[in-house]
Amino acid sequence: MAKEVYSELMKEVEEGKFVWTGELEPEKAGSVESVVQAAKDLKGHVIACNVTDSPQSFATLSSLVAAYKIQEEAGMEAVYQLRCSDRNRIALQADVLGAGVMGIKNILALTGDHVALGDTPDAKPVYDLDSTTLSYMIRKIVDEGKDLAGNEIAEPPKMHIGAAGAPGAAVLQAEAYKVKRKVKAGAEFIQTQVIYLPEVLDNFFKELGDLGVPVFVGIFPAKSYGAAKFFDEAVAGVDVPPDYLKNLKKTKEIKDKAKRKEEVDRVNVEYFTGFLEHLKDTPATGCHMMAVGYPRIIPALKKVVE
Amino acid sequence: MIAQEQKPMDEILGYLEGKQRIVTMGCGGCATFYQTGDKKAVKEMAEKLTKEGKDVTKIFLPLGISACEIDMSSVFLEKNRKAIEGCDAVLVQSCGEGVQVVREYLDDKMGLAKSVYPANNSMGNVGGGPTDFKETCQGCGECELGKIAGICPLTACGKGLMNGPCGGVREDGKCETDPEKDCAWVKIYERLEKLGELDELLKMREPHAWSKMKRPRTFKIEKPISLGRTMFGSIPEYVSFGLRKPFTPKHEEKAEGE
Ligand code: SF4
Ligand code: SF4
Repeated sequence: MAKEVYSELMKEVEEGKFVWTGELEPEKAGSVESVVQAAKDLKGHVIACNVTDSPQSFATLSSLVAAYKIQEEAGMEAVYQLRCSDRNRIALQADVLGAGVMGIKNILALTGDHVALGDTPDAKPVYDLDSTTLSYMIRKIVDEGKDLAGNEIAEPPKMHIGAAGAPGAAVLQAEAYKVKRKVKAGAEFIQTQVIYLPEVLDNFFKELGDLGVPVFVGIFPAKSYGAAKFFDEAVAGVDVPPDYLKNLKKTKEIKDKAKRKEEVDRVNVEYFTGFLEHLKDTPATGCHMMAVGYPRIIPALKKVVE
Repeated sequence: MIAQEQKPMDEILGYLEGKQRIVTMGCGGCATFYQTGDKKAVKEMAEKLTKEGKDVTKIFLPLGISACEIDMSSVFLEKNRKAIEGCDAVLVQSCGEGVQVVREYLDDKMGLAKSVYPANNSMGNVGGGPTDFKETCQGCGECELGKIAGICPLTACGKGLMNGPCGGVREDGKCETDPEKDCAWVKIYERLEKLGELDELLKMREPHAWSKMKRPRTFKIEKPISLGRTMFGSIPEYVSFGLRKPFTPKHEEKAEGE
């Protein structure tokens, strides 16, 4: 059976193109203007943008609303992120069906960081489903028009399901099993956590073997030393190379703002040229750029792969 | 067993403010084990309350008589009916279960409307010992242990994931939510590896059926167990238990010998 394609993202994958996706973070605010603007800035650089759902459990504006807005107002296709940490299966299903009505064509099914890690630590964590069973639930809705309990759903939405992978996981074999399990449950593409080190990339692909679905590798060209340091220190399983960090740190000494920007770009292009050259020889079918607020770096990086 | 610790005395005295005649009752079950409701704990509580100028009546429950088993604890409540009738408050030195079973008995069976207060904080069902305990089962009513290497991720995983691990496992194999706690899914992985059953990890586990957790849960058995079945029938085992060597885990024995 020819695979049905509902989104621009999956269309590019089917066409055998190397895929670029971006990432947008709704804020803790009653407005999505900045997100829509950022989506406009990314237009032409990436085929679709993830819209984060209260990342690291910092409670923000709804990812569904922001995803809808970037599609409507910026013409940017969304990868709508949906976490299990804050909703039970009823609420998740409601959002999935709602997303279909809002024209969402890609959903990223996430377990979600524990709520105790965020800015609202007293919230009751839900985790009725996990990323695997959420993928499975959406699969059932899309393919069979049924919910988890087997109830019929009229006019089920058509969308693609993605899931996350953590190449830097402490116990990589366990993580690889998990990624395979998510694919078995219905995930059609994998977006990975940020990777900086080529060997991490290689080990991940080696462990995965033939996964059978596209993998988009997460990269994070840091707009500043602080951003890179945050990743190094605060994000599980992400090691930022010391030399890259050192070079970014040096840019802080440059007084002239324009010159400093130039130097930051140079450091990033230098580092990621090596990384992307390496990536071209792996089974990766795309890059997920978490360069939030840093669209100007994208064209230079894309050139490496093209 | 239900893990528990005594509440701060200030909190207990706060409940008892303005109340003069106090009945304090212990528990011969878990609370005896955790020394929050044994004879000594009840005596100490009574002493402290007396020092605060209260008139105190103590009710001891002997080992094996739990406050939460009303059939047995009610014998001691009835024996102290007079003191309870005349008191301003009842303090129960047991888990929350015991406090409420006693409260319900006073209300419904003894016809006494009394203020009833907890002396302890209950912290769930735990196993282990002799000094370190941990929660490994939340009594969900639909046991999944047979599917997941004999380790319950609903309880041992910070997120209760059935298809773990999550992306947050720390480098040393500890949990995203707490650097002191092991990641349950790393443990499950290691165990399955030893058993040669890693393929189990490729099976998707259906979302857990939480319908069995519809609270408040109630439970019925056909007839209560008889004393003969519980105690007398086990006399040979009690005797051999009495003759046992004190328990030392194997690895400690070795360490001592080295
Ligand atoms: S699945 Fe876990 S919580 Fe449920 S009964 Fe089994 S051990 Fe207990
Ligand atoms: S780190 Fe392990 S135990 Fe902790 S929430 Fe994640 S999977 Fe569960």
